[in-house]
This record gives sequence, structure tokens and C-alpha cells, in this order.
Amino acid sequence: MPRTTTLECPGCPSLRALTFDALGLIKVIEAKGSQGGAPRVVERWGELDSSKCVLAASINDREDDPLLAVARKTGMIEVLSAINGDICFTVSNANEDGPRPEDDAVVGLHLFAGQKLGLTSRSCTLLTCTTKGNTSMRSIEVTDSPAGSASIGSSNTWSVCSSGNILCSKVDGSENYAIFGGKGVEMNMWDLDNCSKIWAAKSPPKNSLDIFTPTWFTSSTFLSKDDHRKVVAGTNSHQVHLYDISAQRRPVISFDFRETPIKSVTEDLDGYTVYVGNGSGDLASFDMRTGKLLGCFLGKCSGSIRSIARHPELPVIASCGLDSYLRFWDIKTRQLLSAVFLKQHLTNVVFDSNFADEEVKPSVAADLPLNAEQIANEMEIRDEEETLPLKRKKASKEEERRKKKKATKENEGNKEASKENNGSKKKVSKENEGSKKLKSKKSKRSKCEIHDES
Amino acid sequence: MMQKEEKEILPSTIKNKEKRSEVHAKLKHQKKLEKRKKAKARDAAEKRALELGEEPPPKMVPRTIENTREFDETVCKPDDEELFAGNDADEFGAILKRERTPKVLITTCRFNSSRGPAFISELLSVIPNAHYYKRGTYDLKKIVEYANNKDFTSLIVVHTNRREPDALLIIGLPEGPTAHFKLSKLVLRKDIKNHGNPTNHKPELVLNNFTTRLGHRIGRLIQSLFPQDPNFRGRRVVTFHNQRDFIFFRHHRYIFDRKESKQTDSKGKEAEDAKGEKASQERVIARLQECGPRFTLKLTSLQHGTFDSKGGEFEWVHKPEMDTSRRRFFL
Repeated sequence: MPRTTTLECPGCPSLRALTFDALGLIKVIEAKGSQGGAPRVVERWGELDSSKCVLAASINDREDDPLLAVARKTGMIEVLSAINGDICFTVSNANEDGPRPEDDAVVGLHLFAGQKLGLTSRSCTLLTCTTKGNTSMRSIEVTDSPAGSASIGSSNTWSVCSSGNILCSKVDGSENYAIFGGKGVEMNMWDLDNCSKIWAAKSPPKNSLDIFTPTWFTSSTFLSKDDHRKVVAGTNSHQVHLYDISAQRRPVISFDFRETPIKSVTEDLDGYTVYVGNGSGDLASFDMRTGKLLGCFLGKCSGSIRSIARHPELPVIASCGLDSYLRFWDIKTRQLLSAVFLKQHLTNVVFDSNFADEEVKPSVAADLPLNAEQIANEMEIRDEEETLPLKRKKASKEEERRKKKKATKENEGNKEASKENNGSKKKVSKENEGSKKLKSKKSKRSKCEIHDES
Repeated sequence: MMQKEEKEILPSTIKNKEKRSEVHAKLKHQKKLEKRKKAKARDAAEKRALELGEEPPPKMVPRTIENTREFDETVCKPDDEELFAGNDADEFGAILKRERTPKVLITTCRFNSSRGPAFISELLSVIPNAHYYKRGTYDLKKIVEYANNKDFTSLIVVHTNRREPDALLIIGLPEGPTAHFKLSKLVLRKDIKNHGNPTNHKPELVLNNFTTRLGHRIGRLIQSLFPQDPNFRGRRVVTFHNQRDFIFFRHHRYIFDRKESKQTDSKGKEAEDAKGEKASQERVIARLQECGPRFTLKLTSLQHGTFDSKGGEFEWVHKPEMDTSRRRFFL
């Protein structure tokens, strides 16, 4: 009888993730079903060409035509549709008089979800940052021409650092601020509307042995989506610093984590937990209010973790790295849910949260009949209370207008959920897709939240 | 094995040591007799079947750890285009496609004594186009820089501990991966009986059993140390055989011989290049003569990029939590 201890991996909940690797391929991994769902690669986009290695990626995860921006080693930035991988357009990041893209690789990329610079809804805005510090924010009109070209609207270019290399950059939740940091470059925060630097960090004082470690930030993130003032950064000397720009320039809390550089830091949705991945494959979660280690994620990850992504709704994180595996972890129990072998060195992973399965799950965002069911349940549970729980709101906050009306137990009939959901390409199992507008004449609505979309 | 009948007593329940050891010895003796009986019965059955001209009963296959190896999804498949594309694109592609000839720099750690220098001189004879430089007190990162300037393709550092070489660091250049191996069971040429002396011909390389993706990468790393155009007339072969994550290094000279063989049961001798020609009851076999050192390597970590102890990121690092199964191997 073989003496083995194999870890039984419970399956993943239904989710969809996209990974980017060093050969320029984009793979779409989906897990179906809430029990025993094993994630599988369903699609693979891109050609096998290592000069097109993906350096940075960003997803604009809206329901309606979600877009994915990908920066490659050749200096080209492609914007693809996240559903089927068709290239919407390609933009080159190289300037004529600037350094060649091979020398000045793109380090950070962000595709704005909201509209910047007052343009129409058929445009998208990209923020790119290269290692030499050339940052540019450009907005691009998507024309209807099928050739994939696009006309560039306005663009701003400025230089973030004068010397040193930028290695990490991130844009915050409100998309007004961005931080940059790198080797020899202290963390600094820029206001994107004015393109001005509003804050720069100062290195921590020399330690007790009078040893000065040179600044080398390898990863950074904002601590919470709503607050741009707190920033978490990981360094090459395996330290993690928390900065608060309203307090001081030196780090507020800093701690050590193992012995290899911190390659990726990601925040959790609750605003105080971060997940840290380092160069030898250790993944751990920390509570940033105290700096305490909450726990490590054990799962035989033997390669450096290049990127961690947190699912916007499910308590799942995905980590990918140089050992060519994409792993899904449960946040609460820190258990490995499943691992997918993807054959190349992976550089980035993002989640696509608008993934609906055949059986409708309550955690999937923004489905009309889904919310109808939930409202029905809640109405039976609660008495005379009109508050919609905040969690539901979080799950379905984009482009939705709901009026919830109480009073009676005639559930389906009196439900009002009118919603503008034009052009949604997601599979919705039970139909009712059109707008059900019921006027609410009767009674009390103590608290209603109405999202108005014009 | 648990006895099912209640009359048998488990030796472990007997508290008296003498009595317990007696019962245990008796059990073992019984088991041995049964095993011998079974083996005899098997042989007799086979012989009888052969005499009668029937099919002999099927030979049983012993269960080994390699047979029952845990299923590994990272095993390279032969039709995997991503594998080939990755191979073209990786750091060894240039050398393996013969665009660069391998040039190896061998050096040691800072303190080197006893068997270290002897081992290095043997390595110099095994690997063609290898150069030895004394270590001095240079930083390893500086050495990597110097080697890049002088156009070396790989750097080997032999690390000595307690006057015995015990680790090998193979760094691909210019920015190739760094593989750190644990070295053990080193036997130098002078300690091998009937050893031969290697010549200067370019050796053939045999890489056995590097099945997984990680193994494939390490195999290519080793392949990039040697020239890609072996001289078959030189009859010199270097073997790296991977078994259970241990890589065995052997260095032989071979020669083909014709051997008169009797009817059925002369087995062909040694390993790789034995050909059997049944034409005139004469078989061609290869006889091997070992020359050069003999050692085993075990991979401890594979680092992406050149050697960087503080800032390096690992593609594969051995962690104790990976060892939970005796049937799981990574190379």
C-alpha cells in the first residue's frame, strides 16, 4: 500500500481567470460548478512568440464589453475584448525620440474603468509606465473600423523619476492617484488629473547596526479601494512597508517576511488585509493594522509568485508564478482549492468577475432574476425592513437601478427591479431580461437605494 | 502482515523480550519457507510449460517505486507545441542550436582543499573547452560579469565543505538560470578499478529520464555545457541518469565487440549501445570501461537569472512540505 499523503483539493467555485505568460499567450481558465469544479483552460489567445512576452496587464471588468489591456515586450499595447480575445486596437508605446522599447520596458499598465478627460463612452484611457520612468496617459477613441486602429485622443506624458528604474506602479480605486516605486526610486504618489507629484516617501532610518539598505521596491498596492492615502509596498530585501501619506513620509509599519524579495502585494476588499507573495513561492496574509502575520498559504508552491489577484466577490485569490502553476486559494481557511498547470512562466493573472454559470449563483454579479430571487428570500426573512444588505449592493453595483418595495408577500409580482442592461453578453439563465418597471405606489419604503444611470 | 486468525498472536503484544523475539523469528522463518516454496512452484510451472510447448504463465512484474510514481501533470508530452516554442525561446536555445559553442568556466568557493582540486582537474578533462580560474576573493556576481565579458556560456562553481566537494552551482550565461545541486558519492578516477583514461574527443551525451518540465529544463542546462557535435569515433560517452530525483554522472569509453553467443540465453551486456544481431549467433555488444569521476547530484533549487542570493527569484526551490509522499519526484 503506497504511503502517500495527497491533499484532496476541493473544487473551485465558478470563476474565470485570465493568465499571461512569458511567451505572450493569454489563457482563459474557467471553473464551473460550485462542487468539484476543476478549473480548465478553455481558450488560448495569442501566438507563441517570446518577444511578445506579456509584461503587464489590466482588465476593465465591466459587464458591458469588458476590455483587457496587455503590454508586451515589443512595446506594443493591445486592447482586447475579454470575452473572446479579439483585438480591439493596438497602440505602440514607443516614442520616436525616446529609447527603444526593448530597453525601456513597460512596467505598469492600467486601463481606466471610468471616463477620464471627458470623452465619450467608446473610448478608453490607458496609463502606462516604463522602467525609465516615462509615464503616459492616453485616451483612445475606438473607431468602428475593423482594422483595429484607433485614433489617439489626448495624451499626457511625463517622467516620474529621473534616475533609477521603476519596478512597480499601481492606480488606486478612485483612479485619481497613482504610485510608482522601484530600484533607487522611493515610492511617490502622483495626482493624475494634474500630473503632479503629491507625496514622496523617505527611506526608513538606518537600523541598529547602521546598515543602510538601498531603496528597491519590487511591488506595491493601495491598501483600500476608497482611501488613497495608505500604500503598502514590498521591497527587495524582503520587507513590507505601510505608508500613510497623511501622516508622515517614513513608513508607519514595516515588517520582514522570509528571505527573498517580495514580488507581489495585493490588498483584500476589507481594507486592512494584504496578501504577500515572495520570490521563493511563499504566500501569506497580513493584517496591516497591526503588522501581524495572519497565516501562510501552504500548497507546495515552489516558484516565485509573480502576481496575486483577489476575486471581486468570492473569497478566492489566485496566484501565479514562475513554476507555471495557477493556484486558487480560499481566503478564510487558507487552503488550496486547486492548481492548474500552465506550462510557461506566468507573469500576471486577473479575474474576470462577470462569469455566470448555467445554474445561477448568488455571488455572480448583476443578474436581474437573481436579484429577484434574493429579494424574495429576504422579504420573507425580514419583517418590515427595507434595507438592502450592503453585500448585495456590492455585488451588483454597476449600472443598476433597483427599487425595492416591501409590504406584501406577493413576491414575484411586486418586485421591482428595473435595470438597464443593454448589450450584456453574459449568459443569463432565467430570462426576464427586459426592464420590469413597476411603479411603486403603495407604502412604505424606509430605505431604498436607487442607482440612477443616465 | 496482520494475522486474521485469533489463534495467532502478534509478536508485538508479547511483553517479554526473549519470548517475543522467539515468536518473531519463528514467524519470519515460516514466511521465508513459504516464499521459497512459491518461487519453486513458479519455476516448475514455467519449465513444465516450456517443455510442453505451451505459453509459460505470465511473468509477474515487481512493484517498484518508479512503477508506482505519483501521477505528475508536468510531464512533457511529445506533441506539445508550447514546449517547443518555449525551448526555442529559452536561454539555452542559442547554444543548443549551435549558434554559440559552449565555453565553460570552472571555479571554486573561497576555501578549497583536499579532494576539491582533484575533482576540478577531472572535470576539466570531462568537459571540453573548460577553463579553470582560481577563485581569489571575487564576489560571485563579479565573476559572472567577468565571464560575460569574456564570452563564456556557463559557469560552474564547486563548493567545498569539510574538505570534500559537496555542492555544484551551474550558472548559464549571460542571464541564464542558476541551478544549485547537492553533490555526493564522489569517486575519483584513481579510486576506480580498471579505469581508463579519457581522450580529447568530443563526448556523446546521454540524458536519461528527465521527464517533467523541470527535468527537461535541467536536461537542457546540462546539455548546454557540452558541444553539440559529438565525435562518435572517439567512443566516449558521458551519462547523466536521473532516477528518483538523483542524477548519476558516469563517464565511459566503449568499444564494440562481436561475441559468440549460445542458443537462447546469453543476455546482451551493458547498457546503451548494445545491438543484437541474431543472424549467425554472433552478437555485437558494447563493452564499457569507466573513466573519470563518478558522482551523484540532487537539485536543490533553480533560480531565474544569475546567482543572486538576496534578490533572486526562484523557479523551483525544494521545500520540506513537498516531501510528503515517497512516490513524488520532481525531475
